[in-house]
Amino acid sequence: MKARKRERRRYAKPRRETYVFRLFVAGNESNSSQARENLARLCEKHIKGRYKIDVVDVLKDAASAHKNKVLVTPTLILIKPLPKVTVLGNLNDTRQVLAALRLNGDER
Amino acid sequence: MSDQKPPYSELETKMKEAEELIHALRTQQVDAIVGERHIMLVRLKQAEENLKSSRNQLRALTSYLLSARENERAVIARELHDEFGQALTSLHLGLSWISRKLTPGQRPLQEKIRSLSATTTNLMRSVKNIASELRPGVLDELGLVKTLKSEAREFEGHTGIHCRFKTNTAKAKFERSAAVAIFRIVQAALTNVARHAHASRARIALMKRKNGLILSVTDNGKGISRKLVYGHDSLGITGMRERALALGGTFTLGGSGSKGTILTVQIPLSRVFIGTSR
Repeated sequence: MKARKRERRRYAKPRRETYVFRLFVAGNESNSSQARENLARLCEKHIKGRYKIDVVDVLKDAASAHKNKVLVTPTLILIKPLPKVTVLGNLNDTRQVLAALRLNGDER
Repeated sequence: MSDQKPPYSELETKMKEAEELIHALRTQQVDAIVGERHIMLVRLKQAEENLKSSRNQLRALTSYLLSARENERAVIARELHDEFGQALTSLHLGLSWISRKLTPGQRPLQEKIRSLSATTTNLMRSVKNIASELRPGVLDELGLVKTLKSEAREFEGHTGIHCRFKTNTAKAKFERSAAVAIFRIVQAALTNVARHAHASRARIALMKRKNGLILSVTDNGKGISRKLVYGHDSLGITGMRERALALGGTFTLGGSGSKGTILTVQIPLSRVFIGTSR
């Protein structure tokens, strides 16, 4: 019973939490720039004031990419709320990205 | 996109990650590959965009050059017709006048005048032919369909290759640039038939269809190899292709020993006919 409750809490639809993202990019390369813009736009539209984006440029900080097991850029990791989610690519497919980040239906 | 905890098992998660990695690579959404020691930049997309942009620039330049060449040809044809034509006519009339003034005793002179007169007539014919080759006056006067009909007739006369022309656009009014391009494509195609095809029959068809104007030139000759179709030194074929593409159309050329050669050009109706919306 307790385990189920814990599980429910862990996967419950997030409410009013602050979203913490880590976006791995390669300088100003085309897909990286698109990913940066797309993420900022999505956050502004769906979770305005409740997000934090930490951009890591792998050209300057390769160790961090390696530590986070990032294989390609752009890679977006949703750190909080749990569970962690990894999204690859330029984030152009808004619907898919929102679904992956569990942001669909969270337009408040 | 993957959760690092249940509901996925570790293997399922790995598989999903791999699939997403492949998708990202395939759709060219990757800028860099992060290795243990190196970061490799992948600039495929940018390279592809640069290539596309250069190709478009080259196409625009070709289109401009083709139109500049047509204008130049028109000027040269007019100059030839007006200047040379007039001068040669005067010369011819002058020679006739001198011939009439000669007495029967001046026979060698008369023969010389006759020979010069014949040369002048030949020159006049040549100038007329060159001018009409440079700028087919009949295209302006009679329109594309009649010009193509006459081209087919002339081709048959010169080469002995049986040539037929078929169309369902007899009453249509063509855009000037499209008419010139189609005429030049037919000219080049027929030249190839005469030079390379070893054909006994050729057919030109200009048909209006729902999806565009279809021009086809076919023959019953030995066909054409892929290498020739796409070769850089096949200037005639390159010219035809560029003319078709400049009108927003498509160009295909192929064939074999059993089928002969089939050239097909498809051009959007809006670029061909006067009065169709763009």
